[in-house]
Amino acid sequence: MSLENVATVRGPEEDALAAQADAAAGGVWLRAFTRNRLAVAGLVVIVALLLFSFAGPLFYHTDQIHTRLALETLPPGTGRPLGTDDVGYDELGRLMTGGQTTLEVAFGAAAVAVVLGVLWGATAGYVGGLLDGLMMRVVDALLAIPALLLLLFLATVFRPSVLMLIIVVGVTAWLVPARLIRAEALSLRGREYVLAAKTMGVRAPTIIFRHIITNSIGTILVNATFQVADAILVVAALSFLGLGIAPPATNWGAMLSGGLNYTFSGFWWLTYPPGVAIVLTVLAFNVVGDGLRDAFGLDTRHG
Amino acid sequence: MTRFLLRRCLQAAVVLVLVSLIVFGLLHLLPGGPARAILGPHATPTNIAAFDRQNGLDSPVPVQYWHWLTGVLSGNLGFSYGQNEPVASLLAQRLPKTAFLAGVSVLLAVLIAVPVGFYQAVRRHRAGDYVVTTVTLVLYSTPAFWVAILLIDVLAVRLRAVPAEAPQGSFSAVLGDPEGLILPVLTITLVTVAAFSRYVRSSVLDELAQDYVRMARSKGAGRGVILFGHVLRNAAGPVVTLLGLSLPFIVSGTLITEYVFNYPGIGLLTFNAATSQDYPVMLGVVIVVGAATVAGSLLADITHAILDPRVRAAAGIA
Repeated sequence: MSLENVATVRGPEEDALAAQADAAAGGVWLRAFTRNRLAVAGLVVIVALLLFSFAGPLFYHTDQIHTRLALETLPPGTGRPLGTDDVGYDELGRLMTGGQTTLEVAFGAAAVAVVLGVLWGATAGYVGGLLDGLMMRVVDALLAIPALLLLLFLATVFRPSVLMLIIVVGVTAWLVPARLIRAEALSLRGREYVLAAKTMGVRAPTIIFRHIITNSIGTILVNATFQVADAILVVAALSFLGLGIAPPATNWGAMLSGGLNYTFSGFWWLTYPPGVAIVLTVLAFNVVGDGLRDAFGLDTRHG
Repeated sequence: MTRFLLRRCLQAAVVLVLVSLIVFGLLHLLPGGPARAILGPHATPTNIAAFDRQNGLDSPVPVQYWHWLTGVLSGNLGFSYGQNEPVASLLAQRLPKTAFLAGVSVLLAVLIAVPVGFYQAVRRHRAGDYVVTTVTLVLYSTPAFWVAILLIDVLAVRLRAVPAEAPQGSFSAVLGDPEGLILPVLTITLVTVAAFSRYVRSSVLDELAQDYVRMARSKGAGRGVILFGHVLRNAAGPVVTLLGLSLPFIVSGTLITEYVFNYPGIGLLTFNAATSQDYPVMLGVVIVVGAATVAGSLLADITHAILDPRVRAAAGIA
């Protein structure tokens, strides 16, 4: 859903990207990244959220399977730091369970999107010509369809599970990485080492994997980070609309959706924890993405 | 310029054909195909076979595509059996309401985001830039529905300043209830400002780094002349492109907002269609939005080329 990523890939300055990425090679970027305190803070937040969601339930035991209507919408108190939700689940434990699915889907979908996009973009950019034109028009056509509409459609056709959500979100999100990597491939294919490999008779798939993709690694890494942030927003939106994973599984978007009806009752603990969790996570990934982009010396417009 | 126009229009036509192929493909992706979509989940195989024969759905796929496409081009977007109404007329009733909601919000967003982004770029790495950048980054990371819930909780529930439900009924009824529009408009505006201002900031920064700025400065041009005479005009190009491309993004935000506030527009229609598996309505919306996006992006590129000779030159070379 990221508008910025969509709008930024059309800049005329794409040729400069590859040259700058080269300059960032050799671990220089790692030092540049760690000097960026905001980005490091973002990374710490991400690690903390992963620990909270996946290791948290080991220390804080709650029943997230059986509903207990006698304990519904209890305000925060001793033994239940964030109260209980509308069917009696412990809200803090729910936040951990929901965090697991949210992060699993987000990482999975980002991986699917980046792999698909990189392969598509690298092929189009390296081969060029008519194939490139056609492949990029396909990307344009898919970009013209709002991802949320496509997701709503797919979510009603296929029954959403974690795996299904990963695939569905992934196949709607690969367009931006495809355009970014195509721009990289366009400038890389004119480089001496690529021409040399070509002259030596190296086949196109080998060149694409060995030279084009490896030399675009900065762009890929930065985009992958933003993809995770976007996927969290998209999955949350889908679940908020009630088309996410079926109970008793949950995620932060579904928790917000359930809490919406109780806003008027003043049950703030049903909406604020998942809402804050979503914003915090997406913010952390965006900050890390910004930091990586600066560390790799990539264009200012990409983020 | 003529070559650029021709090239760009041809591209748009190819994209439109691909959009139609995608939608047609989605229709056939449904288990049971279009017949299942129209007859609903309870149709028997016999019913489906009869329907397929009646509507030519047993003919070869390319023939079917041609029939479907000519139908769409003559305004036949299908029939919603869920609502017992042609999809086109359903869309026509709701389109003005959504266009109004989104239009007002996006206009406000541009009016806010352009000065804000400009300010950020000019005051880069100063306190003002950091504060505004932080605020927009947080807002950019906030989903539209969470913005909506926060606004409802604070403005409608706690302060009781505005109603939490959007106006209902026809377009004129919606216009007659401006108070109810405040929260939906505010939600879309805030989400859009966050994305736009970040974009304006970086495109103004790009312009400030250009040679012509240094040239103007070395000729002794004042700060105001450089910023408002040169940079503003050149930075307007990317903003126009952004507007052209942002339609899908705005549609997504509007869908969520309409759902939260129960605003009777295209977004709510789409949501209801999704939950009741009313596929003709969903695909009708996809076609209309897809076509509008392609047209918007074409228009934006042409405007950009008119505003900025560098774009024309680049298109001529490529």
